[in-house]
Amino acid sequence: MQAQKLLTRNPRAELYYDLVELLTGVTLVGFLWTHMIFVATILLGKQTFNTLSQFLDDYYLSYVGIPFIILVFVTHILAAGRRLPTRYQEQKIIWRHARMLKGTDTWIWVFQVITGAAIFALGSIHMWMVITGWPIRAMTSADRMHSFWWFYLVLLLLGEYHAGFGIYRQFVKWGWFPRKPLGYVTKMITAVILALGLAALWVMYELGGAV
Amino acid sequence: MMNYTVIVTDVLVAGAGLAGERAAIEAASRGLDVIILSLVPPRRSHSTAAQGGCQASLGNCAMGEGDNTDIHFADTVKGSDWGCDQDVARLFVETVPKAIRQMAHWGVPWSRVVAGRKVLPDGREIEDKKEKEGLITARDFGGTAKWRTCYTADGTGHSMQYTVDSVVIKLGITVHDRTEAISIIHDGETCLGVVARCLRTGELRIYLARATVIATGGYGRLYGASTNAIINEGTGMSIALDTGIVPLGNMEAVQFHPTGMVPVWILITEGARGDGGYLLDKNLHRFMPDYEPVKKELASRDVVSRRMIQHIRKGYGVDSPYGPHLWLDIRHLGAKHINTNLREIKNICMNFNGIDPVKDLIPVRPTQHYSMGGVRTNIDGAAYGLKGLFAVGEAACWDLHGFNRLGGNSLAETIVSGWVVGRKVAEYARDAVLNYSHSLVQGFARKQQERINDLIAGRLGKENVYQIRREMEQTLMDYVGIFRNGPDLQKAVAKFQELHERAQKIGLRSDGKWASPELTTSLRMPGMVRLALCISYGALTRTESRGSHAREDYPKRDDVNWLKRTLAYWKEGADLPELRYEPVKITELPPGDRGYGESSAASTGGNKANGQ
Amino acid sequence: MSTKQRKFSIFRYNPNTPEKKPFMQDYVIEEVPGMTIFTALNKIREDLDPSLMFDFVCRAAICGSCAMIINGRPRLACKTLTGDLKGTITLMPLPVFKLIGDLSVDTGTWFRQLQLRTEAWIHTDKKFDPDAVEERMDNRVALEIYEAERCIECGCCIAGCVTANIREDFLGAAGINRVARFMVDPRDERTPQQYFDVIGSDEGAFGCMALMACDDNCPMQLPLQSQLAFVRRKMLAFGLLGK
Ligand SMILES: Cc1cc2nc3c(=O)[nH]c(=O)nc-3n(C[C@H](O)[C@H](O)[C@H](O)COP(=O)(O)OP(=O)(O)OC[C@H]3O[C@@H](n4cnc5c(N)ncnc54)[C@H](O)[C@@H]3O)c2cc1C
Ligand code: HEM
Ligand code: HEM
Ligand code: SF4
Ligand code: F3S
Ligand code: FES
Repeated sequence: MQAQKLLTRNPRAELYYDLVELLTGVTLVGFLWTHMIFVATILLGKQTFNTLSQFLDDYYLSYVGIPFIILVFVTHILAAGRRLPTRYQEQKIIWRHARMLKGTDTWIWVFQVITGAAIFALGSIHMWMVITGWPIRAMTSADRMHSFWWFYLVLLLLGEYHAGFGIYRQFVKWGWFPRKPLGYVTKMITAVILALGLAALWVMYELGGAV
Repeated sequence: MMNYTVIVTDVLVAGAGLAGERAAIEAASRGLDVIILSLVPPRRSHSTAAQGGCQASLGNCAMGEGDNTDIHFADTVKGSDWGCDQDVARLFVETVPKAIRQMAHWGVPWSRVVAGRKVLPDGREIEDKKEKEGLITARDFGGTAKWRTCYTADGTGHSMQYTVDSVVIKLGITVHDRTEAISIIHDGETCLGVVARCLRTGELRIYLARATVIATGGYGRLYGASTNAIINEGTGMSIALDTGIVPLGNMEAVQFHPTGMVPVWILITEGARGDGGYLLDKNLHRFMPDYEPVKKELASRDVVSRRMIQHIRKGYGVDSPYGPHLWLDIRHLGAKHINTNLREIKNICMNFNGIDPVKDLIPVRPTQHYSMGGVRTNIDGAAYGLKGLFAVGEAACWDLHGFNRLGGNSLAETIVSGWVVGRKVAEYARDAVLNYSHSLVQGFARKQQERINDLIAGRLGKENVYQIRREMEQTLMDYVGIFRNGPDLQKAVAKFQELHERAQKIGLRSDGKWASPELTTSLRMPGMVRLALCISYGALTRTESRGSHAREDYPKRDDVNWLKRTLAYWKEGADLPELRYEPVKITELPPGDRGYGESSAASTGGNKANGQ
Repeated sequence: MSTKQRKFSIFRYNPNTPEKKPFMQDYVIEEVPGMTIFTALNKIREDLDPSLMFDFVCRAAICGSCAMIINGRPRLACKTLTGDLKGTITLMPLPVFKLIGDLSVDTGTWFRQLQLRTEAWIHTDKKFDPDAVEERMDNRVALEIYEAERCIECGCCIAGCVTANIREDFLGAAGINRVARFMVDPRDERTPQQYFDVIGSDEGAFGCMALMACDDNCPMQLPLQSQLAFVRRKMLAFGLLGK
């Protein structure tokens, strides 16, 4: 390495980046899966959904949780985003390469990047909508989801994809489990969460339409 | 007139295999500037292909207990059929244990002794002792009285080459890979260096050095069927021969292995037959019992090889685009046995032939394996004829192997001779002065350039280099194989003389520019044919059988007339080598019975001497 | 035994003559049973086009010379049977490495650079004593070292890795695996800090994005996923805890 680079660089910077990527990624996946379960409480009825939401507000969990998640969200974008290929030349190489090689995990990563960027946009809009329409109650949510069901559907699919493969990729990277069974397990979890999300979306849509 | 780039160094080593790199390390660590040339990156040298192991009388494992340098010495001399120099063999066996430990110090992991009781496949029970645990262990190899072959799992050569190369890198030794030495520069007395051709650009360069070392490996690829890497074309030997003053020793001594797989000639280990495999002919008839009723497929390697060729000659070979072959059949051993005990064989068959030995027959034919002959040197590795020229490894005839090399003795030779000779090279180079005339040196390069220009311009003729090559390979296989006799050898010599003529008249079909592969082969071709002539003419002249040199018309070893080494010289413009002979140095062990082989009284038919 | 015609589509370019742009050239030869890309390429060179450049040395999957992109995947040409491939066989040189001509690339220089950058040799202060018995080592440790040492530097893992394709300084799976070989070797006396300096960065352990093309394509079937993860975890421990 060049002396200039050596002198100016924190020798541990890249370690920290990697660690932050890991921690924020895992936290967000944990959040998203919990989040989906929370939203899915609508399956048990409006009352349950509202009680849970009320509970989170009453104990100030929302007021701590939401800013925290937003913070993690932003940090994650900064840490993971540094891997985004910015140069056109690079993007071209990646695209050609992925097509030529047909390597599954390379494609997974390419989609990780694409879904990540999409979530950045959609997730931000979504969070903005929720926070500005405060508080969270079954009927307000149902109305939103009735009008914008396609937005939620897209966000759901992208989010679950990104989270499911994100967690798979982190486990592969750190080697806590062998690749093949790990892929199977994460796919199963993702399928379950996705099913919950779709069901919730459907119930919410029906609810909202009824008004 | 154009001048060629001149690169000057203290020591120049042509060849980055184990032998070359080990010698380079020795010279560099004694403070000399060293440059290594190689056709390929060092770690691609053929030394990495040696999987079996490396002999050293450490005596650590149970079956090696009581081993010592004297026993190793006796095995080596008997293996060579008394063709080796015994002072070299003595120096070798005394140095090997140190060399092996040095490898361990540098990083070769070596498989280690694990204490405890074990049962061998033949039912014998042995016990490795606790006090030996963790020391370097050894396995069994042909022709040895003790288990003496040290190994690293299934990649001995690989781990040795990578380790030695790591030391080369650590010492910062310059390596010019993809560079081929194509001519030795000398003034009739002293070697001054080489002319080399860059295999990236085709450019010629001049390397000058106080000492030059040939470490270019064997010539297996002169034969159509060889277990060797395709770069083993004997180029180092042929440029030495081309000086006219440096002789090649014992070129007729060529080792064969019975079961190389057709058409890639990758070695199928003896385990296949050891475990009960059959050899079949084109009628799926098991023919070995017809020739060898007692030992059948398990007769000695050279005997089996000879019978196989004999049978093919009678017309029982299976025709294939790659020439006639026979079948190895292990199907009756069953899927379970093949998939566990013979897994390596199964993998080779699947990967390189797409055949599954559980259901399919394996095409095999005896295959060239090792070249005992090479640039003749004294015990210090100094080539005969030119001061400042040295040779080590398979390229050299140091002469540790005589007429038959013991399995595991060639890896050992590379690191021992590299060490010993490297020291002598350093001592020589320290005191020598590089004295040369500019025009002489440039003249050597210009001569090569003229050959290249002539080839590119198509001035020489229209011969197809690949055609000549195929005929050379085939002739060696047909007439100078395992089994030799006067009339056949005569035919071979005549054919090679014809090919030698034709090799001067090659016409390229490509433009020959840059690093043209066709030009590369064309430049080597005449030299390769000359080596083929040294082999066949030496074999024709040697009217006895000794080690791997088996004459049907002279089946006995003849110590009265032939206890001597062949030296082949090539005078410029000649069409045959000039053969001279020198006595073999016998110091400790007078010629006697080997204890195995057909001519031995104590023969069991199991000639274990031709190890891998 | 049946024979049929096989079509090869081969990348052609000589960097010495840049005015002639790269192109794909087609060759048709007769396919014989048991034919590998090695035998096929030699046949093409000897019978059809003696100017074709490619590299083989051992032709037995031992030396690592012959890696190329075969129908889109990095593989060893010598152990690839034409019979296992469908349709036209497309051959391209490995990316990342400097092109020498046609299918021949300079993996040697790249890998030597790698050894230098990772200081891939045993670091020890001990002097070799030729008269002493060798140091003992557990056979399990010896085999563990060998497991990583088996890499033949073919470059398949580098060529298939997107990271290595866009980042010139990335050491790749082969490089990280090489360091792992020394980390498990008790003879190497390097400190955690020394190892961290070598690969505790985006050029080494943290540059890997777990794309696993290396793990999928290694012809020696080295356990690259676990080797990469092993080094990553070690680097985390070395970097955070200094041990
Ligand atoms: C399949 C197989 C298995 C074997 N197994 C064993 C075994 O188990 N045990 C054992 O002891 N032996 C074994 N051998 C033999 C042993 O591997 C070789 O004899 C030994 O490795 C030769 O080493 P070397 O350094 O002399 O040559 P090589 O390793 O062949 O190196 C030759 C070097 O010279 C270079 N070179 C060649 N020509 C030129 C030129 N003109 N200019 C510049 N450079 C040039 C090449 O690039 C290469 O670097 C085996 C051989 C084969 C074929
Ligand atoms: C709730 C939202 C998100 C979750 C749950 C999440 C989760 C994850 C996880 C677990 C990883 C694995 C890290 C890896 O592959 O190495 C990851 C990677 C990544 N994420 Fe996110 N992420 C989210 C939002 C985003 C957003 C908004 C972006 C916007 C740019 C993004 C971009 C990326 C990128 C580019 C990677 C790949 C990094 C790499 O390969 O090293 N993610 N994400
Ligand atoms: C931290 C802030 C967040 C809050 C408070 C929040 C809250 C909510 C709420 C209340 C709903 C119900 C619908 C609605 O009211 O609009 C919802 C749905 C949803 N949210 Fe979030 N969300 C947050 C972040 C995210 C992020 C970062 C993602 C990114 C992937 C996400 C993905 C979704 C999806 C996919 C749905 C639809 C669920 C379904 O289809 O069943 N949310 N969220
Ligand atoms: S790790 Fe595997 S793919 Fe990579 S260079 Fe080594 S052998 Fe080749
Ligand atoms: S393909 Fe490349 S990104 Fe890592 S997992 Fe392998 S080195
Ligand atoms: S030629 Fe050696 S690996 Fe293919």
